[in-house]
Amino acid sequence: MKIPGAGLAKGLTVTMRTMTKRSVTQQYPEVKPELPPRSRGVIALLEENCTVCMLCARECPDWCIYIDSHKETIPAPPGGRERQRNVLDRFDIDFSLCMYCGICIEVCPFDALFWSPEFEYSELDIRDLTHGKDRLGEWMATVPAPPAHDGHGVRPKEVDAALKALDKPARERPARKPAPGPESEDAG
Amino acid sequence: MTTERMVAIGAGGDLVGPDDRLATADMVLNIGPQHPSTHGVLRLQIVLDGERIVRAEPIVGYMHRGAEKLFEVRDYRQIIVLANRHDWLSAFANELGVVLAVERMLGMEVPVRAVWVRTLLAEMNRVLNHLMFLGSYPIELGAITPIFYAFRERETLQAAMEEVSGGRMHYMFNRVGGLKEELPAGWTGRARRAVDDVRRRLPDLENLLMDNEIFRARTRGVGVVTSEMVHGYGISGPIARASGVDFDLRRDEPYLAYGDLSVPVVRRTDGDCLARFECLLEQAYVSLDLADACLDRLAALPPGPINTRLPKVLKVPEGSTYAWTENPLGINGYYLVSRGEKTPWRLKLRSASYNNIQVLTELLPGALVADMVAILGSLFFVVGDIDK
Repeated sequence: MKIPGAGLAKGLTVTMRTMTKRSVTQQYPEVKPELPPRSRGVIALLEENCTVCMLCARECPDWCIYIDSHKETIPAPPGGRERQRNVLDRFDIDFSLCMYCGICIEVCPFDALFWSPEFEYSELDIRDLTHGKDRLGEWMATVPAPPAHDGHGVRPKEVDAALKALDKPARERPARKPAPGPESEDAG
Repeated sequence: MTTERMVAIGAGGDLVGPDDRLATADMVLNIGPQHPSTHGVLRLQIVLDGERIVRAEPIVGYMHRGAEKLFEVRDYRQIIVLANRHDWLSAFANELGVVLAVERMLGMEVPVRAVWVRTLLAEMNRVLNHLMFLGSYPIELGAITPIFYAFRERETLQAAMEEVSGGRMHYMFNRVGGLKEELPAGWTGRARRAVDDVRRRLPDLENLLMDNEIFRARTRGVGVVTSEMVHGYGISGPIARASGVDFDLRRDEPYLAYGDLSVPVVRRTDGDCLARFECLLEQAYVSLDLADACLDRLAALPPGPINTRLPKVLKVPEGSTYAWTENPLGINGYYLVSRGEKTPWRLKLRSASYNNIQVLTELLPGALVADMVAILGSLFFVVGDIDK
């Protein structure tokens, strides 16, 4: 015959055992959480890399990226002709609309956008959640290096291409050195 | 000399029946509407005769976001963003249906490593989903403690999911043709440790609750779903299996790598709230074992890619297909009709919770108000999954 209340006692035993163990609660504001590098906290912008191609704004599923730009003429160097380039005036992301899917970062062909695990940017007014290029640029400092890939995977094509270029003798290489930028890990 | 008089006050007080007894009127009671994103609430309009429910009608639609219409103006990568949100507790499984449908239409071969990682993550997602309900259902019955144990386990698994995908709930890790990116180095070891930890600690949750006299009294024999109801209403998932229906897509129509795994189908025959809860708990154990099996296979696989290179503009050829998956809460299906555009012409979503809660109209009449909470909670639904 079952003793009445045995089930309750069994539950209390679990409680008693747990009482002797350390608590798993994290003391958040005092102790910051350790977030993995892929954590999708906020989108950071590396303004120098942006060419105003508008791919991010177009591919965004809820169109929360606002970009304005103007054209600027670079005076002709001796023996050359003058060129035009796009200058970014405004790059705003409305984080009240953003769904944190990361498509903008994935489509950016020039590696101007990055995920940062930074998450402490709550505001009291929804309108203050639209952040401009200066604020997005500040977050660049918090972008971690991408994690190394699993040994069972294949090397990305981009890495292969870069290694092949390095193997070539120096004189065969084009004179202009490509700008050193962060390695693209997930392009394509 | 003295005459006995009946005194009645309050609403209906003047309703004294012909036999001098108090005539009662049925009361219409609205349960909800609450804020639609609150866990486990749904608007129910019930008609009460005293404490007993006479009629019940679930009123849905407070969280309708028009997902199916939004799908039609999104390309196949953007659809994944939306598709993983209707049932926010099984985001990975929701993404899976979309990419499976698109891949089938394209006749695309998915790299074998991607298939096994997908299976692994789908099973981890299933455990996450079940843990949520294993924690929240006791709260609905008045037991507050279990949710802390459930969330400790959820946190362990979520850490693994976040490390690989960057998201804690909306993973956005599936892509047509594979997964978004390669696993981080050493992740498989950490995932295995997370799975082991959860398996080791899950008995805590079980011991807290499963023999508890109060819990058993509240759930045993309450809200019995018969197998006729299951077939009549199209109920699926753990709720159907708790009523003895032997149906699990992972075994009966294997997708991903389930064909190479032996999937034990957890079943109960009682069909009551307790059986449903037991099903969920045992399924969590089964999923942990399946996750381990996937990790074993992943370690044995030869090196290979995890995704496929896609064209810049992905167009799905004209035609239609129906892809269904065994989501944690039941069958989740996508009927994809394409006219060769880069957006679907129609993407119909069949979500598990919508069908599962229909049975409330039949299940609640005859039950007491106190049991209503037990029954409602044991149907394990997500409001977003009902309203889409």
